[in-house]
Amino acid sequence: MRASQRLRLAAAAAPAEMLREDGRSLYVHLPFCTSKCRYCDFNSYAWSGQSLERHVRAVLAEARARAAGLRPQTVFIGGGTPSFLPAPLLGELLQQLDEVTGFRASASEVTMEANPESFDDARAAAAAAGGVNRVSIGVQSLRAPVLRAYDRVHSAETALAALRRARALFARVNADLIYAFPGQDPQEWQEDLESVLALGVDHVSCYELSFEPGTALTRMRDAGRFRAEEPERGRALFERTRALCARHGFGQYEVSNYARAGAACRHNLAYWRSLDYVGIGAGAASWLDGERRKNLELPEAYEQAVRAGKDPVAEAERTDPATTLFDALMMGLRLPAEGVLLERARRISGLDPAAACGATLDELIGEGLLELTPGPARRLRATDSGLPFLDSILTRLLAVLRP
Amino acid sequence: MARNFPPERIRNFSIIAHIDHGKSTLADRFLEIGGAVDPRKKMEQMLDSMDLERERGITIKAAAVALVVQVDGQDYLLNLIDTPGHVDFSYEVEKSLQACEGALLLIDAAQGIQAQTVANAHLALNQDMTVIPVFNKVDLPHARPEEIAEELENVLLLDPSQALRCSAKTGEGVREVVRAVVERIPPPKGDPSAPLRALVFDAKHDEYRGVIVYLRVVDGAIRKGDHVRMLGVEREYEVEEVGKFTPKMAAHERLGVGEVGYMIANIKRLGDVHVGDTLTSAKGARAEPLKGYREPQSMVWCGIYPVNASDFEHLRTALEELKLNDSSLVYEPETSDALGFGFRCGFLGLLHMEIAQERLERESEIDIVQTAPTVPYEVLLNNGKARMIHAPGDLPDGSLYSEIREPVVATHLLLPIDSIGAVMKLCSERRGVFQKQEHLSPTRVMLTWDLPLSEIIFDFYDKLKSSTRGYGTMDYDLPRFQAADLVKLRILVAGEEADALSIICHRDFADRRGRAILKKLQKEIPRHQFEIALQAAVGGKIIARESIRALAKNVTAKCYGGDITRKRKLLEKQKEGKKRMKSLGRVEVPQKAFLAVLSTEE
Repeated sequence: MRASQRLRLAAAAAPAEMLREDGRSLYVHLPFCTSKCRYCDFNSYAWSGQSLERHVRAVLAEARARAAGLRPQTVFIGGGTPSFLPAPLLGELLQQLDEVTGFRASASEVTMEANPESFDDARAAAAAAGGVNRVSIGVQSLRAPVLRAYDRVHSAETALAALRRARALFARVNADLIYAFPGQDPQEWQEDLESVLALGVDHVSCYELSFEPGTALTRMRDAGRFRAEEPERGRALFERTRALCARHGFGQYEVSNYARAGAACRHNLAYWRSLDYVGIGAGAASWLDGERRKNLELPEAYEQAVRAGKDPVAEAERTDPATTLFDALMMGLRLPAEGVLLERARRISGLDPAAACGATLDELIGEGLLELTPGPARRLRATDSGLPFLDSILTRLLAVLRP
Repeated sequence: MARNFPPERIRNFSIIAHIDHGKSTLADRFLEIGGAVDPRKKMEQMLDSMDLERERGITIKAAAVALVVQVDGQDYLLNLIDTPGHVDFSYEVEKSLQACEGALLLIDAAQGIQAQTVANAHLALNQDMTVIPVFNKVDLPHARPEEIAEELENVLLLDPSQALRCSAKTGEGVREVVRAVVERIPPPKGDPSAPLRALVFDAKHDEYRGVIVYLRVVDGAIRKGDHVRMLGVEREYEVEEVGKFTPKMAAHERLGVGEVGYMIANIKRLGDVHVGDTLTSAKGARAEPLKGYREPQSMVWCGIYPVNASDFEHLRTALEELKLNDSSLVYEPETSDALGFGFRCGFLGLLHMEIAQERLERESEIDIVQTAPTVPYEVLLNNGKARMIHAPGDLPDGSLYSEIREPVVATHLLLPIDSIGAVMKLCSERRGVFQKQEHLSPTRVMLTWDLPLSEIIFDFYDKLKSSTRGYGTMDYDLPRFQAADLVKLRILVAGEEADALSIICHRDFADRRGRAILKKLQKEIPRHQFEIALQAAVGGKIIARESIRALAKNVTAKCYGGDITRKRKLLEKQKEGKKRMKSLGRVEVPQKAFLAVLSTEE
């Protein structure tokens, strides 16, 4: 077994035992940011003066309607920028959320996302006091020109200070980073990553810069004002990131996520393992008892629906067996070490994965892109050479499962 | 109009013109004068009966209409036979003209003589018929009838003093045109007591009545109940109805010498009727056929395949239906390694191909992949026999034949004098042989080049337009086959020959064409997980190579937030894109790539 593989397994092993298969997770979405970053296609909005109190009230009202007594095993407060809320409002949100769901007693992991410019002492303290035990800081880059190009509103120094502040108050800290900025010097990327690791974080998310439909960056690229990096260089940086993280004891337990042993993000693991979760807030998605649903995205529309006493749902879908199986593969194959537990995929979808995927599965295994683990609890996972082509693999599986 | 006119008071004529020179508008005026059209119900250019014709402003099928006009107190029956306006249909034009004793050569007084003016005038003059030049649109401020009179004399050797001037739009001068038709065009000649001989100059399919045959009686007469025979196709029918177009079909007792009208005789398929055929009486001695009948020749061929293999039978049905209205369309089943089961389809020319394809997609809603068009080639086999091939893949092994002949056409190019250099260069690059240069006027010239048809069917017209700032027009005569040093250029994708991509081209051009095709494929074929070798070969020799680099990475970087439906939809899109591709071995090729062979990029 290669060193990187051992690390991957170690990182995945610990929290695996701490997530119950019949447990539920809670996601809370807060859509406001100081400004909208150019690469961002999330349901987030530059704040334009609307009442944050009113929005938090709506979120809590939805929680009362949909998550009362949920007792989640993990909680993730994401956005947008949750740290954009003033400290007292943040404290109130957490306290009332606990009253409604009882998360402080039930959840082993409570993560909050924060951006460097707003993660001050007061908010950090309010988060810790409210039960948050893990923070995820949006660092993205430590280079001023890159931060400017993304339209980030903080400096590299502010980001490093935010990481230090987080380390002082929280046992578990993640840093979000983006690589493959056009023309990025691989050496510089390595230095940035090492500076972040040196601050004692236990988790890093390293995303390749992507051009999502509708973002400012995509429009700039299409207009010829922004160049996309050569795919070969993006791939080389991906490999460099894997290797560097492995050297520092961070296992790649998901395509873009690296953690020290036992420090994988349990909440995200719940998504990747197709466990149930309830999403509260504008645009939040849920997967509960075989149904996928998504809330209204626009904060105003969301608030209005909740205030009117209505369910703020935008769309809901009860997935058929083939779709359920595909979703389980789509999420699970992102985990190179643990992959998809075939028995569980069969249980939730009612389909035998090997039979449903037929010859295509054999082909993918034959081509060395996927592999089956030996032993009784069989898992299907992407190989080292398959992982970078996961979308191609999934497209082929989709063609069999949903022709 | 139930009465019959004696031949001396009948005039059969056509209007021939370049596109947009006002033919349909003038025809409308004639219809008004002849009382055939209720002015309140008048529809612009009512002779063009197909949507596509109206949309494209061209006439695809001939039409005919009977009018009664009064000149000097005397009634005359005018049969106006409309003709298609495009070179693809020149055989139909020729047959329509053959049904007439005269033609109005309509020329836009602002634009002057254009390529189709020349081509159509040549067709008419070759038939030895009366040609009356008419300058239309004289009301336009930039009309220049004096210069055009000069062009008429220089290019067509017609006497400009005989030319009439009118504006079909305002009606100015149209009465004089009507008078000229009566006075200058001779009445039809023919023997009323001889056995029936009639020219079939067009036919169309009617859903309820079967095939309607358009005919012109030369000798004798045709009546309801007659037993008739088509000499060319050797078929006999009993006449159910004869009549005239007013322009609606109106049944008549009989059609006599010189008369133009229709016949219905329980004919099921349009393919059973051939334009140019001679209709005679089934009884008595066999009559002499009228001159000039021949089978229509398909000069452009391409493969048409369903995107979904399961649509093959639907495609067959759609082609059958199309052929009901378009007897010059031919098709035969074909298989391709890459594209599966489809049809090789033959067309009269490029325009005919475009129209047929558009109708196929519009009327059947089947997604189709079309391969690049090719001309037919005549291969002289070692055993002395000649064989026509319609697809590059049908070319036999090089050791089995001694010669390949390609269609070559005499091409007339009319252009402003300052673009001669650019057009001469274009023609010589396309393997043209210069024939002659004639001056139409001090500013315009007509060049005649012999050009291989294969060189014209890809982007020649666009290049002509751009070399002449849009002012150049072209037309060409019927092709003849001529030997040339042609080779089959094979394209290999990842080592496998892609039959649908191979072409026949001149040996000297093979390198350049090969490189251009590979460059284009490089752009059109998406990256795969392995490197793809692209090769162009002549015989066993590789003459060009390129490669498509392997995919570096294809995995969504960021996938959290739990919105799984959205992520699945993105993959769903990739999957659908993949579905529409065709496989060449392990390589998936988008449909657009099959037109790569049309690429001339360097």
